[in-house]
Amino acid sequence: MSNRPPEQPRYIGARITRLEDPRLVQGQGRYIDDLVLPGMLHLRLVRSELAHAAIRSIDTSSLKELFPAALAFTGGDVGDLAIRAHADMPGAQRCVQPVLARERVRFVGEPVVAVLMEDAYAVEDAAEAVFVDYDPLPVLADVDTALAAGAKPLFDGWRDNIFVQQTRAGGDIKAAQANAARIVRRTYRNQRQAGVPMETRGVIAALDPTGRILTIWSSTQIPHLLRTYIAEEMAWPENMINVIAPEVGGGFGVKGHVFAEEVLCAWLAVQTRKPVKWIEDRREHLIASIHAREHVHTVEAYVADDGKVLGLKADITVDVGAYSVWPFTAGSDPGMVAKVLPGPYELEGYEATYRAVATNKCPIGTYRGVGRPAAVFSQERLMDEIATELGLDPFAVRERNLIRKFPYINVLGYTYDEGSYAQSLSKMRELLAPDIEAARRSRRSDVRTGVGIALFLEQTAHGTPDFIKRRSPIETGYESAKVEMHPDGRVTVDTGLQCHGQGYETTFAQLVAEQLGVAPEDIVVRHGNTTTSPYSVGTWGSRGIVLGGGAAHRAAGLIREKLIAIAAQHMQAQAGAIELADRCAHLKQDPDRNIPIAGLARWAHRNVENLPAGMEPGLVATSFVDGPADGSYSNALHAAVVEIDVRTCALKLKRFVVVEDCGTIVNPLVVDGQVRGG
Amino acid sequence: MIEITLTVNGITKRLKVEPRRLLADVLRHEFGCYGVHFGCSHGACGCCTVHVAGEARLSCLAFACQCDGMEIVTIEGVSKSGGLHPLQQAFIDEHGLQCGYCTPGFIMALTRFVDRSEAPTDAEIREAMSGNICRCTGYHSIVAAVRRAIAARQER
Repeated sequence: MSNRPPEQPRYIGARITRLEDPRLVQGQGRYIDDLVLPGMLHLRLVRSELAHAAIRSIDTSSLKELFPAALAFTGGDVGDLAIRAHADMPGAQRCVQPVLARERVRFVGEPVVAVLMEDAYAVEDAAEAVFVDYDPLPVLADVDTALAAGAKPLFDGWRDNIFVQQTRAGGDIKAAQANAARIVRRTYRNQRQAGVPMETRGVIAALDPTGRILTIWSSTQIPHLLRTYIAEEMAWPENMINVIAPEVGGGFGVKGHVFAEEVLCAWLAVQTRKPVKWIEDRREHLIASIHAREHVHTVEAYVADDGKVLGLKADITVDVGAYSVWPFTAGSDPGMVAKVLPGPYELEGYEATYRAVATNKCPIGTYRGVGRPAAVFSQERLMDEIATELGLDPFAVRERNLIRKFPYINVLGYTYDEGSYAQSLSKMRELLAPDIEAARRSRRSDVRTGVGIALFLEQTAHGTPDFIKRRSPIETGYESAKVEMHPDGRVTVDTGLQCHGQGYETTFAQLVAEQLGVAPEDIVVRHGNTTTSPYSVGTWGSRGIVLGGGAAHRAAGLIREKLIAIAAQHMQAQAGAIELADRCAHLKQDPDRNIPIAGLARWAHRNVENLPAGMEPGLVATSFVDGPADGSYSNALHAAVVEIDVRTCALKLKRFVVVEDCGTIVNPLVVDGQVRGG
Repeated sequence: MIEITLTVNGITKRLKVEPRRLLADVLRHEFGCYGVHFGCSHGACGCCTVHVAGEARLSCLAFACQCDGMEIVTIEGVSKSGGLHPLQQAFIDEHGLQCGYCTPGFIMALTRFVDRSEAPTDAEIREAMSGNICRCTGYHSIVAAVRRAIAARQER
């Protein structure tokens, strides 16, 4: 940033322990389930027990008899409230997920009936008294069944079971194929997984006494997007909706979607005029929250004799389950694979066809890295296979293909900023030398050592043009922050990001403290609340510190300029001669001449007659930061050293080594924690 | 309804509870100990760990009425000094937490291990916390925190 002083940073790069930790280690964090409102109703959902069925009837007569106080709502009651997530790609087929199923269920766990009671235990009993009669339908259990000739489409009016299919290409794939000495072709599968945060999802919705203001507490990563979705879906004025994400016990991408339960709770609170609470149980979470991955990639490399990969062709299929998720949509995982598969390598030609296939499973959504882990696996496994086929060293094959000049425009036209791919590779070769030697020596023994490496880059801080290409309901990725210095010199930072373990309360405070000359402890970072923060698309995609942190740093810079201008007038000095540090403004040449920042802050609010002529009172600034068009690229190289007993296949992890380059590190403690945790 | 007496973090209350009411719910809602977290509600994750009569127990697998007359300590009462327990401080110093949801359970599961161990191996530390799940840290920093807390105890 332009206005940072030239001196050594004090806080940016400092390994300081987290400001949020004392409350968390003492059990003082307050999560959604800890919130209890007077007169609150607990929601229990009757969910589909079948993967695919027509709903013949819903019988609530026993419920009414056994639990007269219970309220029940079905798909017929909720109108056309739904999750509508469509990427407007050519040929893409549209699906709508009603918040409560109507006529048909398409995966085990799909919500069918909402039951409400005041007692959280009783409502579980009550939900068991609801009987749903189903006519089972043929199940599309996997991609092969769903794509088989004659398979019945999952949605009325669909041609087949493909949500979206697209091809991305660049360079000259035909020439690459023609010039290749060898074709290395492999198929890789990546199993279905789930994010599974330790805190399950949960929602509370309540109307204020006027019936106009709707407040939704949700264990979500995307408070503003949830507010906008509810406003549009319920036709409710957006300035009459507050969304608050309290302490969130992990997300990993799972909580970065708008879910049927969130819309449903809002609607139920309006219907019943009572607060409605839903806390997902672990079984519901595992079955029906959101799943991830389940890819099949067939990759074909066109290779020269020396290991140079001339071109890469890929066919990518993802089993995305029964519905498209908002805002990332069904095409998110396969589309990302097609985009990132070229990775850190120079290619003359590239062509990838990707498709998202509908099946009768829980929908697929974002989870740690989205499509990248599967893409990197295929990319790096293929590099190893090429090395094996050509009898070359795996490091050498990668070195032969690495991008070395930056900025680099890749085969799909994406501009890579500065990276350290080659340096990481040689660094890793050095670090692994004893292990590689051990592996060589163990070749004929029963217990063998193996060394595996994976080199990758990660695009993040994507600018708006990158989102426009996706044509999905996430149209931009900018972040924002509001910074306010109070009359006592203490500071509040408001961000629309939601922190669920990333350490923003500390790292944002470090960035702002650097600008304002105060200590991180003087700064309170508030997050996850649409009432206090400017608009944000939320926490996902590793964008938080780059864009949100960048916005906080810029906003603090505006306040910094103002503080310096006030101090300059008072000290009769040039603005450039003044430095902010140790809670004081002082002259760089004569640090003994200083004035407390708290004094300047008081003038800015209370004694405004002391301000330079024409300066507005107050110390508040807001900044919005959009990423570079193609984002920013970090790179890393991971290596695993394992021991395998070839008689029993017993595996032992001996060593795991990471070489990474994420640019400026704000807090190494936090970065190490994120890398290890990932 | 059953009438029971519980002593939680030194405060004794007589209350009427449904026989099926979980200890975790009573601790949370009757004693305000919201640091007791539900992670799975079936004894798989350890988030709800508390001390019952001095031993680490899963409060989602115990009915409150089974604990009649017992003394219970939760994360809110784990520090006797009023400040932080050495293990709490060690979690902070070693970055042994990210989202913090599992942390009270880990601390309640490990305080006795920290009190009794001298020079445990990594395998022993991992065994001691094998009933608890963390999805953020990858456990590495939690092992380091346990080590640091034992060292701090030995220095005292």
